[in-house]
Amino acid sequence: MPEDLKPRPISGGSVREADIPADAGVWPAPRARSESPLVQGVRRIRRSTTALIGVAIVALLIVVALFADVLAPRSPITSDQTRTFAPPSWDYPLGTDQLGRDMLSRVIHGTRISLLVGVSSVLLALFVGVPFGMIAGFYGGRVDTVIMRLMDVILAFPIYLLAIILMIIFTPTAGLIGTMKVTGAIAIVRIPIYARLVRGSVLSIKEKEYVEACRALGVRDGWILFRHVLPNCLAPIIVTTTLGIATSIIVEATLSFLGLGTQPPTPSWGWDLKANVAFIQANAWLSLFPGIAIFVTVLGFNLFGDGLRDALDPRLK
Amino acid sequence: MRVYLLKRLLQVIPTIIMITLVVFVMMQSIPGDPVVAVLGEGYTEETAQKVRQEYGLDKPVLVQYFIWLGKLVQGDWGRSILSGRPVLTDVLLRLPVTLELIVLSMGVALLIALPAAIIGALRQNTWADYTATTVAMIGVSIPEFFIGVLLLLLFSFGLGGLLPSSGWVYLPGTCPTIVCSAGLWGNAQHVLMPAIALGVGRAAILTRLLRASMLEVIRTEYVTTARAKGLSERPVVFKHALKNALIPTVTVMGLQIGFLIGGAIVVETLFAMPGLGTFGIDAIIARDYQQVQGFALITAIAFVVMNLLVDFTYTFLDPRIRYA
Repeated sequence: MPEDLKPRPISGGSVREADIPADAGVWPAPRARSESPLVQGVRRIRRSTTALIGVAIVALLIVVALFADVLAPRSPITSDQTRTFAPPSWDYPLGTDQLGRDMLSRVIHGTRISLLVGVSSVLLALFVGVPFGMIAGFYGGRVDTVIMRLMDVILAFPIYLLAIILMIIFTPTAGLIGTMKVTGAIAIVRIPIYARLVRGSVLSIKEKEYVEACRALGVRDGWILFRHVLPNCLAPIIVTTTLGIATSIIVEATLSFLGLGTQPPTPSWGWDLKANVAFIQANAWLSLFPGIAIFVTVLGFNLFGDGLRDALDPRLK
Repeated sequence: MRVYLLKRLLQVIPTIIMITLVVFVMMQSIPGDPVVAVLGEGYTEETAQKVRQEYGLDKPVLVQYFIWLGKLVQGDWGRSILSGRPVLTDVLLRLPVTLELIVLSMGVALLIALPAAIIGALRQNTWADYTATTVAMIGVSIPEFFIGVLLLLLFSFGLGGLLPSSGWVYLPGTCPTIVCSAGLWGNAQHVLMPAIALGVGRAAILTRLLRASMLEVIRTEYVTTARAKGLSERPVVFKHALKNALIPTVTVMGLQIGFLIGGAIVVETLFAMPGLGTFGIDAIIARDYQQVQGFALITAIAFVVMNLLVDFTYTFLDPRIRYA
């Protein structure tokens, strides 16, 4: 290819643009078949070390959560009064707490609550927020006003305060029901994020010619929304969802720490950390392990989300 | 300018009305009969009737709301069910501690984030940049209370009790009771670890944002122009680049305030500080719902006011906003 035909970075372009090797600059790429954005995204993620670390951490956590019953050496809730505050040893790698419960088993089982609440609260917020945002953006007018004012009510509160208020209304309990209550509370405070995000995307997409063409052809609104509008605002939704799981896990841990999350004896990292702070002076490890577990989990989803953002939408970087 | 500020100020009113509505719904949905809460279990129907009349409980819910709202506006936020003390007084006594924590933690955040982001952006893809971005990534992933626990282990227990692990010494002049310890030095000792615990997470988020927007701004033409006309690096970075890079950062920081307030509640609980957070959590545990109501109201109102301040900062940074 002659030198002067190669695309040159426009002045003021980023260093990254200038770094593009000359032969990669032929647009569109001369391939027999064009790659789908999904395949492109996967390829970009595989090139990023940090994103891969994130994927590895998330995958590992999912395995731990799924096989917690097999992996945990003991029951996380059976206490042994003869073995309270045992320091880390071969038998009890992370020691035992004030009730003689095995910390390793509690940390392993805590993965379940964290992931379950983190993922399902974001999905729940997504299933309510995305349709709301699509309808508000697509139809505009009075529908838009009603939906967005409703979102404003939620946004008028600092998110932790609203989550706390919701948990007071729901009254925290143990077990699966308790977990569902926390999930619901976190989902409600997270709905506006998705509604606003999607509304913004829809507002710009609905002015596009292909949407106008659909309308001219007499396509039904529902079909336009799901077949043409939604796929085009998927990239920011996916990125926000992944990073949102990290936030939700922190919110869950915080609620548990305040005593408003899933109630004991169900193992939860936030609760364990809080319960053991009282004994921190003599038994530092007790608070350390649940804290490290929260940190690693959140880090995993953050790295994964950052990688996804770079892969799916380079403009957002 | 003045018109914009006034308009923005008026927008606060519907927001606060919405907040009172949600808090009212919360109080309505709390399990248990309010009559029992006032009289205890052993009451007669006659006294119950009297209480219901006194508190307006025999009227329709909407009327109850307006009666309740009217009392709030007049400063009657109810009395603690346990101690009998007026809630508004208690809440206002606790507020300065929380505000001090939040302001100082923002200071900590800026102190870390500004240099880290500027160095990261100016020396992109060097070891300094990698260090800044890696530390920031770790910082956004650690919850405040775990940073607090690590600080406690290090400074209160590890280094022979260098800093106090709990309790509080008031700033001179803010002492809420006749007898309490106050002093600048003692206060600094007590507030240092909580402020760092709360500030580090915000610093991490700030660094990431500010670095990204600095990178964008540094490549704009007006920065090239500023450099071309022979300005030294300092005014280019601080006057031309930083001020413009701060605009998107301030927006996101506005959204972060909600997390900051939540973080303050948690950090106060961990360090046993006598602020609003511990007040609220203690009240929730004791089921003193009059206090819980006061806590929710004052926290939400503080949130609204802080958002207002962020918007005003915004107009200062970006004069175009005023005409929007």
